[in-house]
Amino acid sequence: MSAATDRAATGDGSGPAGIGRSIEEAAREIAAAGPSAPEPARDPVNQAMINNWVEAIGDANPVYTDPAAAAESVHGRLVAPPAMTQVWTMRGLHGVRPADDPLRRATELLDEAGYTSVVATDSAQTYHRYLRPGEHVAAVAVLESIAGPKRTALGEGWFVTTRTTWYVDDEAVAEMTFRILKFRPPEQPATGHSAGATGDAGTTGGAGTTGGAGTATAGDDAASAEAAQVLRPVVTRDNAFFWDGLREGELRIQRWGGTLRHPPGPLPPDGDLDAEPDYVVAAGTGTVHSFLVHHHPPVPGKRLPFVLALVELDEGVRMLGELHGVDPGDVHIGLAVEASVDRIDDDLTLPAWKVRS
Amino acid sequence: MTITVGTELPPLTVDVTPTFVVATALATRDFQDVHHDRDAAVERGSRDIFLNILTDTGLVQRFVTDWAGPDALVRSVDLRLGVPCYAGDELTFTGRVAEVDGGEVTVAVSGVDSLGQHVSATVRIEVAA
Amino acid sequence: MTGLSGAAAIAGIGATEFSKDSGRTELRLATECVSAALADAGLAPSDVDGLVTFTMDGNAEIAVARELGIPELTFFSRIHYGGGAAAATVQQAAMAVATGAADVVVAYRAFNERSGRRFGQVSSAVAQQINTSGIDNGYHYPVGLATPAATVAMVARRYLHDYGASSEDFGRIAVTARARAATNPRAWFHGKPITLADHQASKWVAEPLHLLDCCQESDGGVALVVTSAERARDLRMPPAVVAGAAQGSGPDQYIMTSYYRDDLAGLPEMDVVGRQLWRQSGLATSDVDVAVLYDHFTPYVLMQLEELGFCGRGEAKDFIADGSLELDGQLPLNPHGGQLGEAYIHGMNGIAEAVRQLRGTAANQVPRAETALVTAGTGVPTSGLVLTAA
Repeated sequence: MSAATDRAATGDGSGPAGIGRSIEEAAREIAAAGPSAPEPARDPVNQAMINNWVEAIGDANPVYTDPAAAAESVHGRLVAPPAMTQVWTMRGLHGVRPADDPLRRATELLDEAGYTSVVATDSAQTYHRYLRPGEHVAAVAVLESIAGPKRTALGEGWFVTTRTTWYVDDEAVAEMTFRILKFRPPEQPATGHSAGATGDAGTTGGAGTTGGAGTATAGDDAASAEAAQVLRPVVTRDNAFFWDGLREGELRIQRWGGTLRHPPGPLPPDGDLDAEPDYVVAAGTGTVHSFLVHHHPPVPGKRLPFVLALVELDEGVRMLGELHGVDPGDVHIGLAVEASVDRIDDDLTLPAWKVRS
Repeated sequence: MTITVGTELPPLTVDVTPTFVVATALATRDFQDVHHDRDAAVERGSRDIFLNILTDTGLVQRFVTDWAGPDALVRSVDLRLGVPCYAGDELTFTGRVAEVDGGEVTVAVSGVDSLGQHVSATVRIEVAA
Repeated sequence: MTGLSGAAAIAGIGATEFSKDSGRTELRLATECVSAALADAGLAPSDVDGLVTFTMDGNAEIAVARELGIPELTFFSRIHYGGGAAAATVQQAAMAVATGAADVVVAYRAFNERSGRRFGQVSSAVAQQINTSGIDNGYHYPVGLATPAATVAMVARRYLHDYGASSEDFGRIAVTARARAATNPRAWFHGKPITLADHQASKWVAEPLHLLDCCQESDGGVALVVTSAERARDLRMPPAVVAGAAQGSGPDQYIMTSYYRDDLAGLPEMDVVGRQLWRQSGLATSDVDVAVLYDHFTPYVLMQLEELGFCGRGEAKDFIADGSLELDGQLPLNPHGGQLGEAYIHGMNGIAEAVRQLRGTAANQVPRAETALVTAGTGVPTSGLVLTAA
């Protein structure tokens, strides 16, 4: 780790990181400086800004705008949308981060080391309670970590994680962990995806630039959310062996005496009600019988475009799965492939393919 | 409403017009040029102006409470950004109940646009058990 | 002619406008098109005693009856398999009329398929239904085969490979459809023809399908009034007699994913339909004056021409190359612009077009059209009709 760090830190030679201190050392220093001074919101929580927000977002929840409905609700009175928490302490049009702001310091550090572009990658907000019009919040930010250098789809970069707490007087009302990627743009920007606003127009709460771009990270937090989105097969007594097998890393084909069938069913092809099936474990080798490249619309759990291949297994049955690790332009009917399962989570593993080497 | 694991939320499609991008950026007090100035956004390597993350947080909250009702209490919104959502695109949210623990419900939310997964989120709410 | 042939006729057709956002409920659309079809036939709601639609339709027969004041129903039925139901609604209506189960049956289909739930998007409800179709979908949706276009692309790729056809051959179907739509005022793409270059330049949806290989998603409704051929002759409009009506499913049939058959690049279920149609009607491909072939995706039009016997397997690209699908060609195709050009009302607008052609009232009229062939959804268990002028 340290070797890579040193190389990154000394690569550009100009800034503080280049004169002997590693980025990690500098990061430790910023973190050790502790939280920023509490920064109060410009305005108290107020109905006018709430109205603007719900109008723009299209949120019709009456607890934010309708006093009568709000009085009848669990809140008993009007409240502000939790998702607005960060809005109250945004710095606005001409705001500047104070010098002790940890995100400002981290940003400057990485800018000087050549990691000039930025994207927001994730945000985790926790709301302890709903805010009410009239309350005045203040934000306190602290640097949690700077991790890197990491190779990402956007280029080499460092993940900067800050933690912000919002207070009303001494009461912590909400918290946020916010992560950005500060990266060195590649010589040739790969695609239109690599947005990455540079500069920092300033938002409190660590929000900083909200680059909103980039399939940058391989973070674990959201992986579970993606897995939850994958459509689930309907499992029955007739096909449970197939899905069980995939979970155990086996591609199982239903066998009725000398006949294999896929997809499986409750009877053999000759309709013999007395027959009992078992299964064979496929060798996992086959050829592409047909395929498609999916571009549109989005499909849960998939990155676009992706290749789906109908594979004729050497055992003689066809099976569908995503074909990984290949340029779509290189796929052709007859291409030799081998099985490579996609594990979604503990419950579900899907058949998949890769080109046979 | 009975909430069980696997319950699907009604999908929500947002027409991400330039006006929407600008209006939400300003309503969240985010004045970065990439959210309202197309020329500036293009100069910085983007195709067009694009949604800011505060708006994603807002949309995800709205998507879940549209379904859960006004008495649901939003306790946390964790979100991870993927591809950008540029002006002129459509953003479609789908969601699925991932966990139910008494009155605490965890919803997995996905927002996709024409480029792919724009945001994936996990939202924790409390409902009257 | 055998069996059902000649017993019943389509006596009235009705439709709403076709749009991307109807601005009203599906039930409202259903009542409007049924009402229009009855008015076209010169009948009143009180004359109706049968209703038939698709299992996919969101409007129950009793709801439509309630709204329109249809007092009693003696026949109500629904057909499964998506757009494959279209011609079969008329078949069931004709059977009901022929057997005396009902006197006047209205077949209808109405939906907000663009502004409401869009078929072209991924539907987890479809993927995970708890029935055999949901089980079948388990081998396809979770791995990412989750849209109609993708299901067709898999078959289309194999078709291109087996028969040396090209994306441009698919494109010629789209160009023809849009040329017809351009001169049909009811068509969504009225006044908007495309070129083959447009087709080739349109974005990939699921390779080898371009966007312009795919029909549009539409809002709208279409209804057809079926009664006995005898009664139809006394009604307001000239009848379109049901000379043949058939359903078909093929070996190892799935819904859109019949991928496990020996021959992937065909539509054997349409061959099942075609053989019945020719036998029932006593007609042959050479008798067809106008063909309305289901065109939600272009590749399946080529395959239908082969399965129905207009040309040999793999020869459709040659069959269509010399203008044979034009209005003055050997087989005028989809003069309304098809679902690629007019609207995607699950094949029901195609049946209405066939009726107009036989009446001589179509926007793009084929001269002296006396025999029309209509097919329903492809890639699914399907159906077809041969209609003749009285």
